Amino acid sequence: MTRPPIESLKTSILLLLVAGSLAAAGIFWSYKLNTEARTALQHQQAALDAAHTRQRQGQTEARLIAQHIDAYHALIARGFIGEENRLAWIEAAQLANQDARLYGLTYTLSPRETAPATLASGLPLKQTRMKVNMPLLVETDLQRFFDALHARAPGIFRVSQCGLTRITDAPPQPVNRPELDAECELLWFTVAADGKEEK
Amino acid sequence: MMMFDHSLILLATPRQIGVLDWRPGHMHWLGEFAADTAGLAAFRQIVVKHARLPVLLVVDTVDEDYRSEVLPHVQGHPRVELLTRKLKQVFRNARFTGAWRQARETMGRRDDRYLLAALPDADWLTPWLGELQREQVPLAGITPLAMACQHLLSKLRVQEPHTLLACRLNNSLRLSYYHNGLLRFSRLIGGDTPTQLPGSAADEIAKTQLYLTGQRILPREARLHVLLLDPGGQLDSAQAPLNADPAFSARLVDMSSVARALRIPDDFLAATPEVAPLAAIAGEAVQLNLAPPELLQRHTEFRWRRGLNFAAGVVAAIGLALTGSFWLHAQDLRDQAQQLQGEVQRGDARHAAIVRNFPALATRPDQLGLTLDLAAQLTRAPFDANTLFMPLGYALSAHPEIVVKALTLQDTTAGTANITLDAQLADFDGNYRAAMSRIDSFVTRLGATPGVAAVERVNSPVDTAPTATLTGKTAGETKPEETRFTLSVQVRT
Repeated sequence: MTRPPIESLKTSILLLLVAGSLAAAGIFWSYKLNTEARTALQHQQAALDAAHTRQRQGQTEARLIAQHIDAYHALIARGFIGEENRLAWIEAAQLANQDARLYGLTYTLSPRETAPATLASGLPLKQTRMKVNMPLLVETDLQRFFDALHARAPGIFRVSQCGLTRITDAPPQPVNRPELDAECELLWFTVAADGKEEK
Repeated sequence: MMMFDHSLILLATPRQIGVLDWRPGHMHWLGEFAADTAGLAAFRQIVVKHARLPVLLVVDTVDEDYRSEVLPHVQGHPRVELLTRKLKQVFRNARFTGAWRQARETMGRRDDRYLLAALPDADWLTPWLGELQREQVPLAGITPLAMACQHLLSKLRVQEPHTLLACRLNNSLRLSYYHNGLLRFSRLIGGDTPTQLPGSAADEIAKTQLYLTGQRILPREARLHVLLLDPGGQLDSAQAPLNADPAFSARLVDMSSVARALRIPDDFLAATPEVAPLAAIAGEAVQLNLAPPELLQRHTEFRWRRGLNFAAGVVAAIGLALTGSFWLHAQDLRDQAQQLQGEVQRGDARHAAIVRNFPALATRPDQLGLTLDLAAQLTRAPFDANTLFMPLGYALSAHPEIVVKALTLQDTTAGTANITLDAQLADFDGNYRAAMSRIDSFVTRLGATPGVAAVERVNSPVDTAPTATLTGKTAGETKPEETRFTLSVQVRT
């Protein structure tokens, strides 16, 4: 078929161009709409997954709280959680010394420091060193003192180390006079609160 | 493109022109217009009314010429030039000429076999064509009525190799010969000849057969299958004399068969029998086009325009379909997203309801258990000095000569405790060997005591290791302090 002059086909060519342009524009617009809708759906799907995870986590936390809240309150009351209570510790040491019928003691509390990570298990565990120096009559006085301290202590502590030194080289005498000098290092543990203290 | 094949089919004779408005499945006979001033004016009105439709002009005239030619097989522009030269050579200055490449020879050079045709005297067509040109009607072509009859035979499913169609229309008898369904020759015997007589029609057919045989168009031994098509029934009586001749095999074609083949109503065909060949060729490609190229220019433009418009329609339809598809899919995705959003909100509300009942805690809920475990771990197995002293006491009670000077207890929190024991012998006579023996005995007993995991000697009165520097004196007073030794004892807690 011989091609006729372009002039005579102007309208049809224009129509084709307009149709092509409109079709391309329509396809582009609707494809973009489709892509945006797909992205929105993916976002909503992710949000739904997150909501489900939050809900499961909330249920798990509710179960954990119900399971542990009483024991946790007991730890708070005991002073293990929250700020350190140095006055109570000092009072406990003095009273334990009296309960064990010992001869007094001297103490030194170091600044609170972060406990070793291997012990902390990821918690904000703090430790406060307390050096206690006291005379003893016999070695078993030491354990009596610690037993009394455990009974009096408002928090949790561990005896890190103890040194016993004989004051005199003389043989033991049957008199009520201390012949041993004990120097012990105690670690008072507290878990720092993340936020406010419990009401 | 079939759906766009709405067109006008004109049947032109020197006396009149008939107009058929055709589109697939529908046709309407617009009437016949005599070749006079009034007819021309009426025809003009029809043309003006349908100026946008393509027109096929079917010519039915005595003045037509057919020639079969075998020409070398060429294609493209050389074929156009070859046919132009050949048509000029055969038909000289005839304006309306055309060539139809019917088949290709199977033997020899495999030349092309053409049917050349012309309207040598077609001045009577000029007024009609003038009207068409004035209104810029897209003329699709000019073709002889015999070509339209060829399509009629095809639709009647005529299979015979040598067929002569005797068709009586407009008071004229047209005899057309078809070889294997392709037109080879046609002639019109005008209405003023005595074809009304049955014997005359049979004579004309016999004469035509002789002519075709003489021109070697029809093989001498071939039996000619004659189809008699006459709405008026005047050719019916020609069947018997023809069948009496063994060279012929004649049969009548009734109009109801034609109507059925063309799928047009019987009464419509009975009222306007000349519609039959026009309806047969409508919608078909023009194989033998006698129109000069300048008359086809409008139709060429029309076809280009129609193609471009069709392409625009297809593009628009595809665009619309894809746009709609994407849009619908997007709506579906949006609906899904909204449903999910609702579920998210409900999930958040449920989570908020759970969290709302949580007591205020100084730590995260998941750290509650850890905190409790840590507290339990720290309070487990507290330092028990008596337990640590027990094995020492056992060993020391068996060795009263050992005097403890100092003790250091260290909790390792790993199931064991370290005891550093600083001691000396109660008395010493300067015999280091005996002193070492007593200390060794003590160490051995201590190591064997239950609860003791290991005993290590840190310091001895005499360090006999080959790497150590050993000093001392052998004269003078001896003191028990000279027997000081230090042990490191690991005790299980």
